[in-house]
Amino acid sequence: MTNCEWREKIGLYVDGELEPREEQGIASHLQSCANCSAAVLEQQALKKAVRVAGKRFTAPPELYASVHRQMQPKKSTGLWLKASALAASAVLLAIVAFAWISRPSASNATVAQLIDQHVTMLASANPVDVVSSDKHTVKPWFQGKLPFTFNPPELAKDSPFTLIGGKLIYAQQAPGAELVYLVRQHKLSVFIFQARDVHGQVSGTNLAFTVNGWQQGGLRYYIVTDASREDADRLRELLQDANR
Amino acid sequence: MAATVVARGNVSGLENKDFEKLAIPLLDGLYNFARWLCGDPDEARDLVQETFLKSLKGFSSFREGTNFRAWMFRILRNTFLTSRTGLERRNTQQEDKEGFEESSVSQDSPEIALIRRANTELVQAAIAQLAPAFQEVILLADLEEMKYQEIAEALDIPIGTVMSRLARARKQVREHIVLTLGGRRTVGVK
Repeated sequence: MTNCEWREKIGLYVDGELEPREEQGIASHLQSCANCSAAVLEQQALKKAVRVAGKRFTAPPELYASVHRQMQPKKSTGLWLKASALAASAVLLAIVAFAWISRPSASNATVAQLIDQHVTMLASANPVDVVSSDKHTVKPWFQGKLPFTFNPPELAKDSPFTLIGGKLIYAQQAPGAELVYLVRQHKLSVFIFQARDVHGQVSGTNLAFTVNGWQQGGLRYYIVTDASREDADRLRELLQDANR
Repeated sequence: MAATVVARGNVSGLENKDFEKLAIPLLDGLYNFARWLCGDPDEARDLVQETFLKSLKGFSSFREGTNFRAWMFRILRNTFLTSRTGLERRNTQQEDKEGFEESSVSQDSPEIALIRRANTELVQAAIAQLAPAFQEVILLADLEEMKYQEIAEALDIPIGTVMSRLARARKQVREHIVLTLGGRRTVGVK
């Protein structure tokens, strides 16, 4: 056994903890010292063995799900929820009254249905079924639930929009997706259906809600929100770009 | 993994979003570490959930420029140490000598071949027989590939203690393997 000056540094070398100058020094030394080379090889083999054996357990999917749930903002509870529930009830009442008074056309019936859906979402304690701000979590959730697919937009870091999640909905007896976004304190529902299933391409203002509808790639999209028309237009552009 | 600098927003929703992006990729590693610490799947699951809850609550006070991964592992370990299992294990924990003990590698080492021959179960048994203080340091160094400084932050111990524990942990793992596969050959004698 030799007593090299580098002997004590072998662990640090294998762990990449040496300064570059020292690292170069020991690397040169290893060219000529068989003992230290063997020691390095052994440390590396041991490190690798521990790495492989140490990765023994994988987090179960239900842990991911419950952690996701934990991380959802709690601001929808408490006073805000009560206030929004009251407001939503008032709006729902207005919608019911509106439905009684007027006999809607097919387009208006679709819009009224989607506004209902949006208001129900606003008032719900569980507004979405898949809760995530990650589009790569939300989009796959719809796999097997819908006979079509779509691309939620990739939101830039400084984007005013935040994805809250999504849920499966039905309108005119057809399945569709509802994606929920947040812009400042306003929620936006994006409804997506197969174009052949749902009729009525309406944009404008209905019961003070902004409704922005369009058709693209065989799908029909509607944005329903109490946010400004400009916000709805901006989100529409993002969706259109993502689905080109 | 490099230290992650977190920009803090004013809106709580954005903070949660930042937290989610940073924390979710760590979940698997945290769970694996928790399983090693607890030895029980249900307890490990509870420990990880509590870790996420605590770290989410404390995220607003998270100091920018701090290593996020080390911070999360530190919360998990502190939470574990205050749990029943953690207290029990802490009371039976072996004392370790401070100071950096030279890695005890036999120079003319056919042990390399033995280590390479060791199957996963044997190495897992070798890790499992380590005292908790050694187990956590070798897992963070070799599995999570943390730098010594990160480990020191995660475990709240001086960097010299990290090096000392790591050297001793490796020595014990190596001895376990060599003694199991190689019979009576003397190991780690300097």
